[in-house]
Amino acid sequence: MFKEFFIKELGSALMRPMIYIFTLLMALAGALMVIFGEDIGSTGNVHVNSPHTISSLIAGLSMISLLISTAFFNNAALRDYKYNFNEILFSTPIKKNGYYFGRFFGALLLSTVPLCGIYIGFLIGAEIGPLTGQIEADRIGPFFFENFINSYLLFILPNMFFSGAIIFAIATKWKNTIISFLGTIVIVVASSIAGTLTSDIDNETIAGLTDIFGAKAFSIDSKYFTPNDKNEIGVTFSGILLMNRILWSIMGAIIMLLSYLSFEFISKNQKVKKEKTVKGEFNETTILTNPTFSINFSASTSITQFFSFFKLNFLSITRSNLFKILFVICAVMLTVNLWGGFDYMGLKSYPVTYKMMETVNGIAAFFVLIILVFFSGELVWRDRDSHINEVIDATPHSSIYSLIAKTLSLVGVGTILNLFFIGAAIIYQLLHGYTKLEIGVYLQDFIYSAFPMYIIWSCVFVFIQILINNKYLGYFISILVVFLLDIIFLILEIETNMLSIGAGTSYTYSDMNGFGSGLLGNNWFNLYWILFGALILSISGLIWVRGTTFGFKNRIKSIKKHLTPKYTLGLVVISILWMATASFVYYNTKILNSYESNDQREADQIRYEKELKKYEGIPQPKIISAKYMIDIYPTKQNFLAKSGLILENQTDQPIDSLHFITDESWNMKLHLKNAKIVFEDKELGYVIYQLDKALKPSEKMILIVEAAAITKGFQNQLTNQFLVENGTFINNFEILPSIGYSDSYELDDKQKRKKNGLPEKDRMPKLEKTCSSNSCSKNYLSNGTSDWINVETYISTSSDQIAIAPGSLIKEWKKDDRNYYHYKVDHVSQNFFNFMSARYEVARKKWNGIDIEIYYDKAHAYNVDKMIDAVEKSLKYYTENFGPYYHKQARILEFPRYSTFAQAFPGTMPYSESFGFITNLENESDNNVIDAVIAHEMAHQWWAHQVVGATMQGATMFSESFAEYSSLMVMKNKVKDDMKMKNFLKYDYDRYLTGRAFEQQKELPLYEVENQQYIHYGKGSVILYALQDYIGEEKVNNAMKSFLEEYRYAKPPYPTSLDFLRHLETQVPDSLNYLITDWFKEITLYDYRLIDANYSKKSNGKYEVTMNIEAYKLKADTLGKETNVDVNDWADIGVYADNDEENLMFYKRVKFDQEKMNFTFEVDSLPVKAAIDPRRILIERNIKDNAKTVTEVK
Amino acid sequence: MAVLKIENLCKTYSNGVKALDNVSIEITNGMFGLLGPNGAGKSSLMRTLATLQEADSGTAFLDDINILKDPTNLRKVLGYLPQEFGVYPQITAYQLLDHVAVLKGVANGKERKELVEHLLQKVNLFTKKHEKVKGFSGGMKQRVGIAQALIGNPKLIIVDEPTAGLDPGERNRFHNLLADVAEDVIIILSTHIVDDVTELCSNMAIMNQGSMVYKGTPQAVINELNGKVWQKIIKRNEVSEYKTNYTVISDKMVAGKPLIHVLADNNPGNGFESVQPDLEDVFFSKINVTAKTTV
Repeated sequence: MFKEFFIKELGSALMRPMIYIFTLLMALAGALMVIFGEDIGSTGNVHVNSPHTISSLIAGLSMISLLISTAFFNNAALRDYKYNFNEILFSTPIKKNGYYFGRFFGALLLSTVPLCGIYIGFLIGAEIGPLTGQIEADRIGPFFFENFINSYLLFILPNMFFSGAIIFAIATKWKNTIISFLGTIVIVVASSIAGTLTSDIDNETIAGLTDIFGAKAFSIDSKYFTPNDKNEIGVTFSGILLMNRILWSIMGAIIMLLSYLSFEFISKNQKVKKEKTVKGEFNETTILTNPTFSINFSASTSITQFFSFFKLNFLSITRSNLFKILFVICAVMLTVNLWGGFDYMGLKSYPVTYKMMETVNGIAAFFVLIILVFFSGELVWRDRDSHINEVIDATPHSSIYSLIAKTLSLVGVGTILNLFFIGAAIIYQLLHGYTKLEIGVYLQDFIYSAFPMYIIWSCVFVFIQILINNKYLGYFISILVVFLLDIIFLILEIETNMLSIGAGTSYTYSDMNGFGSGLLGNNWFNLYWILFGALILSISGLIWVRGTTFGFKNRIKSIKKHLTPKYTLGLVVISILWMATASFVYYNTKILNSYESNDQREADQIRYEKELKKYEGIPQPKIISAKYMIDIYPTKQNFLAKSGLILENQTDQPIDSLHFITDESWNMKLHLKNAKIVFEDKELGYVIYQLDKALKPSEKMILIVEAAAITKGFQNQLTNQFLVENGTFINNFEILPSIGYSDSYELDDKQKRKKNGLPEKDRMPKLEKTCSSNSCSKNYLSNGTSDWINVETYISTSSDQIAIAPGSLIKEWKKDDRNYYHYKVDHVSQNFFNFMSARYEVARKKWNGIDIEIYYDKAHAYNVDKMIDAVEKSLKYYTENFGPYYHKQARILEFPRYSTFAQAFPGTMPYSESFGFITNLENESDNNVIDAVIAHEMAHQWWAHQVVGATMQGATMFSESFAEYSSLMVMKNKVKDDMKMKNFLKYDYDRYLTGRAFEQQKELPLYEVENQQYIHYGKGSVILYALQDYIGEEKVNNAMKSFLEEYRYAKPPYPTSLDFLRHLETQVPDSLNYLITDWFKEITLYDYRLIDANYSKKSNGKYEVTMNIEAYKLKADTLGKETNVDVNDWADIGVYADNDEENLMFYKRVKFDQEKMNFTFEVDSLPVKAAIDPRRILIERNIKDNAKTVTEVK
Repeated sequence: MAVLKIENLCKTYSNGVKALDNVSIEITNGMFGLLGPNGAGKSSLMRTLATLQEADSGTAFLDDINILKDPTNLRKVLGYLPQEFGVYPQITAYQLLDHVAVLKGVANGKERKELVEHLLQKVNLFTKKHEKVKGFSGGMKQRVGIAQALIGNPKLIIVDEPTAGLDPGERNRFHNLLADVAEDVIIILSTHIVDDVTELCSNMAIMNQGSMVYKGTPQAVINELNGKVWQKIIKRNEVSEYKTNYTVISDKMVAGKPLIHVLADNNPGNGFESVQPDLEDVFFSKINVTAKTTV
């Protein structure tokens, strides 16, 4: 019986096109992903068809697969009911189990077929991809059949099984396709809730297990896979994924069985139409007097009609079950999202309004879009679906009012939902003791962003429904327009917001700067799109099917009838308004402010390199002193700069021509005496001056540069996020031209270079043992345009703001209702300067003659004291261990959250508001990221601002890695607790191991780091921290100090990482010399496993612990391919007194010199857990197998 | 006194079906019955008059309102109960009527309230006004339907197949309602149920295959057939034989045996007996005979 139904299920599906269409679509998608792999971001060393890529894709396609399973399972469950065949079928002697399971497993098998199409697509794509010329053959790897089997068994089958079980159960129970689809939505939401749980690495396992589709589990399992691993290993029966799959398969089985047990052939609970049939008695004797009433068709009647339509439409949405369910789902999503709080490295942020707005907007946008799509169809079809269309159509109302009412009731529903969530967000803030309620900000944000969006999309969807005149096709097209249009524009590289429905200049709300400079453009674009919506809505009114007109031709014919003079007038007015707005937007975004397309930029870069590379390295003078005259006009968002530079010929030959690259957006004007322009390429901004008289060696000259950023109208997208009303932040590189040809403007992308016939480009010059002629003459900060120079700044701003530049404040005055400041650095510095202006509050403290100053927005006073403390602690540790601080001030300055970073300029450190100023540190007495970031930036005052690396591999090691290390030392000396440090360092391990998994070119050892953040921050801090643990903090600091002393503020040649290793080697004992090779010069990973551990109680009351371990040591190449090498390393073993691995009662350093070893030692009290490397000093990919419970042996 | 004047109305659907074939008729105040079998073109004519459908050619005027060219003005004086009168789910009788009243131009809220309540009383649904129409019985729903058609003092009321599916009691009540208002306005009652017309209409027309096959009073057309209709009970296997030999206008079962009516100027003999013709005989004679001649 099972077999018959199973085969019948398959047979009937194979007769219909659905399965072929799905499979073909998947195959097509797969093939395109290979062929256009490069264009959709699959760059680097991972093959476009690597097993890891395919497995991730299959896992990630769970949403689409859900649609497939809904279709197949719903169909299998309902087919007999749909055709009312059930009563006939169930009266035949068939068996329940055969019927139920035959159908179920038939549908299961079918639903797994389409996703296999992905594989077919990848196979085809791999074959034809290279032939199309879109993708290089070396980007395609071999096909792994085993991975196909594994991902079928681990993703496709269990996912279809679980979601199928639910949908089949729902379908059998309720026999309603809509409810089945609601089930689908619930599954989607449930899985995305699991997704929100991974905000921190501590709860990864839970997140991995709770993800219904296993995608998260797989990404957690494979997060440390190197490019080489990804090319060879797909998905395997192991790790969290295996547990996840077992868990959800069991859940699926339980659901299936429960549904099976409750399934009956006899429709027991078939709803006897319980709808109250109201009996109305007809009393014919009633005598009535006719009421008097007037009928008129004035404009006010139209308004009344509009409201009547609006009311009915609005009620029909809000009273529908679908809306109620979506509303509840939405509320659950919001709660879950808020529940998670806002984590950053284990710390919670204050629930400031913009964070709440982001959460609310994210959820509301998604759900309101679903609601708009669905109910646009419902409303447009409502009269016809209810068979009341003829009555309504035959009444003397104007169709357009009915359409406007439909549209606005959609908007109304979205608005209600959104406002409700804003209310929920405010309640959340109150519950968390955050009493700075900014209801106005919420409402403004809603009006600027979500509300216009709802209007625009409502118009668009209503228009689509009316134009297409088929509800389901209308849904399909609507969804296509929402998702596909932008993808198409992306592929076509259309960047103007005037074509992408609802798009516009985006704005970011910041506590400091409010809605900011993007708001103006945002609002104009909104107006443009709303008028567009009004226009297509008016057109909808013309093609609206009124009455029973059939066929497109008749609809076109009836346009004429709808076009009354009044209507025509309205249409014309709207068209004119729309076109006028369009012209204005066009004028602002394309003429007043132009922007370059990506293509144009790349073409420029290619031309720049091809035509001008010949000038690379020609002798140019260096800047030896700079004076900046800056005028900031915050309300107009204008920034005027005049820079006086003294250039000196530091070469040994005369220089007769000067090369500059100027920035068009800054309207740069260069003033050079006795020089004339001999070459100018305006597009590239490249200009060559010929000096009337050549500049002789060590001769000086003056260059004056005028640069101005003038804000005019609004832009398509903001190009300068930091030229703002409150919180301007500009650095000197923006206002100065580059001197000489610079390779930093060249095209970097490897494949694009290849395509355009450019030679391969190194990310950075190779590390040289001894500096050849010029290789160490440039440092990576100023790139050869200057060395250590004196800088002065005259800076002015509006009377309500403070303007800051690096250096001591020499003078402060007021003139013409403006504030003027004169700053001068106390010591020569790198020419790396920032210019800031905002309405600041200032907190000050003096420490050993140094002014500690925190410039902050008055709303963000939370952590100011802690920041001062962090600056103080840093100054103390660094001056004691590394040497003097050469500035007279140490400033932290808050800037708007348009970027999340902190940066060190001489004595002056801007710090983003979103990252530190609003983090909740109330209950954090120990280590925290705010202290760490401040200590890091403070450390840069030594590492980068006193010594900086030559532009060469390894240069960032002794700025970024040293700064990270220094900051860790400040923290270590504050908390004095290994376990707390371990808890903090896990983020650095994760940063390194995750970073190398996504390396696009090649991973390098630390001493050859090419500005790779995961190496110089992540690995660098971990290794230096380990080093101080192995050789002692003092020794490491000594090495750093003596290195610093050799190169502090020294003229070129600049040092390289090898120069530091030279200083380090003298501090490392011979027995540990291998560490320099393993950690700095090679990529080394350890793989330690505790096989078992036991203890016995000895007669003297002590405990003897025996640990049985395995130890491996791995060397990785640049792609992450690992080879085992001999083990001969020192490492720690130890025991914890508790299960949570918090109380490390004993550890000692031992030598691992074989792969399998035993260690025995004595401890005083009862050991609970034993571990290798219990303080996590060494780099291991998997540390879960390092610790085990200690068992007692008698 | 309103006059509805239709001249040479034609409509052919895209699938080739001729729904209206040169229809011309003049209708004045009172109840007008439009009789015809399913698919005769009644609904097409009704929809065209209700401004819901375009005609290919011809004209239709209600007094001086050009129905085809100026639908908006016709809608202002139109009451229409379509063949399929559905209702919004979730909406009460009161809300529905209120909405239609607004659409028909009763803009004043207070007046509208009085009007809607009056109509609800008139159709005897006042006590149910806050219940959802969806749960009403077929008859009650039709009463809501007629109530909405009456809103706004229409000059032309079109009711399309209003009694289909109603039980005899409800049908009676429905007829009474229509008869109440019929004096001052034109009511066109389209139906395939002969009794509807017999009971209500002073004037009528019969439609078949898109054209008018009869226009006049019911009595006149019955008189035409006086003495020409004959009936006989026959055996079941004889039906086709009789159909070839006689002009059979109808056959129906009486106590399990076929009773046929034939049309003949003189007594056909063979056991046929004379019968007083009724409208049903007229109806069948008109449509079956035309069918025969056109085939």
